[in-house]
Amino acid sequence: MSEMIGMTRRKDVVVVEDLQMVYRVSKLEVPALRGVDFTVKEGEFVAVIGPSGCGKSTLLHLIGGLLKPTSGRILIEGVSISSVSDFERTEIRRQRMGFVFQSYNLLNTLTARENIALAKRIQGNGHYEDGSAHQILRMLGLENKMDHKPWELSGGEQQRVAIARAVINRPAILLADEPTGSLDSENSRMVLNMLRELNSVYGQTIIIITHDPEAAATADRVIEMRDGKILNRVQNMFYAMEEKRS
Amino acid sequence: MFKLILSNLRQRPTRTLVSVIAVALGVALLLVSMGLSYGQLVDTVRRAQGIGGDFILQPSEASVIFALNSGTIPVRVQKVIEEVEGVEAATPILAKFLGDQFHIVFGIDPESFGRVNSTLSFVEGGRFSEPREVIIDTIYANSKKMKAQDPLQILGHEFTVSGVFREGIGARVLLPLTTLQELNGTPDKATMFFIRAKEEVALEQVYESLQERFENYKITKTAELQEIMMDSTPVFKEFVTAMVFISVTISFLIILLAMYSTITERTREIGILKSLGASKSYIVRLILNESLLICAVGVGLGFLATFVVIELLMAAFPTLPVAISLFWRVTAAAMAVTGGTLGALYPAVKAAGMDPVKALGYE
Repeated sequence: MSEMIGMTRRKDVVVVEDLQMVYRVSKLEVPALRGVDFTVKEGEFVAVIGPSGCGKSTLLHLIGGLLKPTSGRILIEGVSISSVSDFERTEIRRQRMGFVFQSYNLLNTLTARENIALAKRIQGNGHYEDGSAHQILRMLGLENKMDHKPWELSGGEQQRVAIARAVINRPAILLADEPTGSLDSENSRMVLNMLRELNSVYGQTIIIITHDPEAAATADRVIEMRDGKILNRVQNMFYAMEEKRS
Repeated sequence: MFKLILSNLRQRPTRTLVSVIAVALGVALLLVSMGLSYGQLVDTVRRAQGIGGDFILQPSEASVIFALNSGTIPVRVQKVIEEVEGVEAATPILAKFLGDQFHIVFGIDPESFGRVNSTLSFVEGGRFSEPREVIIDTIYANSKKMKAQDPLQILGHEFTVSGVFREGIGARVLLPLTTLQELNGTPDKATMFFIRAKEEVALEQVYESLQERFENYKITKTAELQEIMMDSTPVFKEFVTAMVFISVTISFLIILLAMYSTITERTREIGILKSLGASKSYIVRLILNESLLICAVGVGLGFLATFVVIELLMAAFPTLPVAISLFWRVTAAAMAVTGGTLGALYPAVKAAGMDPVKALGYE
């Protein structure tokens, strides 16, 4: 489950084993994942790429505990979320995961500050006004936008608020579904830089789903999917770097 | 959570307002109808007790709603009553409901009435001494803007007001027993007798003696009159039940509709909350607390509306008795909250059970 690299011991944060997912539409069975295996280590930045309908989003939702697989296993920090109850899966999601979506998914009735605070409250940490939160907000360049409602923010700003909301509880894994899909190239670059910084400065483990080659290039490792299967591991800078270090 | 609830309610002001008004309507409906019906009942009891008797003697089949009875007991029964051990005095009363004026008048015998009652006092004028004289209470005088020596039409005959007495005794209008007997076509008859026990004798003992002597009559303790009236007033309990049911149903249906439509509109929001790790109980509490807030504001507005309606009614009909007890205020609030909570429960459970992926993909 873990790997010794020199004196550094890196945990397996996500382990996916023979994951299968079949959607049932009336009497029709539609396979979305056909036996997916991979591991994501602590502090790794992984991009999952592939054409539409290849099962990327299903994979992300399964890792995030939003869906239950038809068969196979997903371990989050050693805990199998595919076999626990709905209540426990929600608890893992609350304590260990952060989500970023293509369409930002901020609550329009709340300000940026309140959107972020809500994530903190749902996690049960009360107020978000602590030192680490300020650091993150400063890093995301949101300090002056905190009292704005989502519609008063640009797409890039909204996505940065969504990232802040996702990482405010210091989750073990940040799952991002097409985080730059609705942004122009400048804002895309800014968001990707921030994800990169979160990963390199805070050691945040990140898995992103993307069509964007630039976004994929930001990651340490790229997993390519097609027809519900992993084709190959295109790039593994993370392992390369670790190996080089060791 | 409170901030989220508040912002959600503010986001949809029309629906929030309509929901609040509907809850308020249910509360006001219950309070006004109960206030008027209980007011009438409590006022009747208070004024009957104001006569001062300890017991009321009526024919066995008579109703404690005096207006429903006619004069059937011979006045000479008074002497028989006064012979019962422990009885201080008895006075015959003929009750007549005036349909055109929607109130009751009492025919009284001044001499025996004075022996049973010791509290009749006048703010103006005095007792009647002529057959065509009446006395009226202060509320009646104020509402009709009348004073002593003014003429007053009763049963198509003209009377003169000889005095205005402090309200709280018998009926709003009292006239000579013999005159009312004559106008009613029931000479020498009374509707009931008010009986006063001697102070030194235990009431229970007098009650038993009266029951023994008048076994074919109904003897009611005036102290228990309210309870008896509630039990024996036709369809009173059914009316109360219906009012409570309507109030709960209004709250239930409106909140059900409002919350059901709100969770449909907010499907995506529920998906977001789930992706943030909100548990099912968090979502249920969110929806229930939202409905509770609507209900709480609705109850407050309902109390205010009740106050305004009652004030308007009192201004239009000053003799109208209204009694809204704390019990009914609490009941109305509890019914609104119960109806609202029940109405929100199904949408809340439905929202909590939503598939987060489908909810997130909802447009």
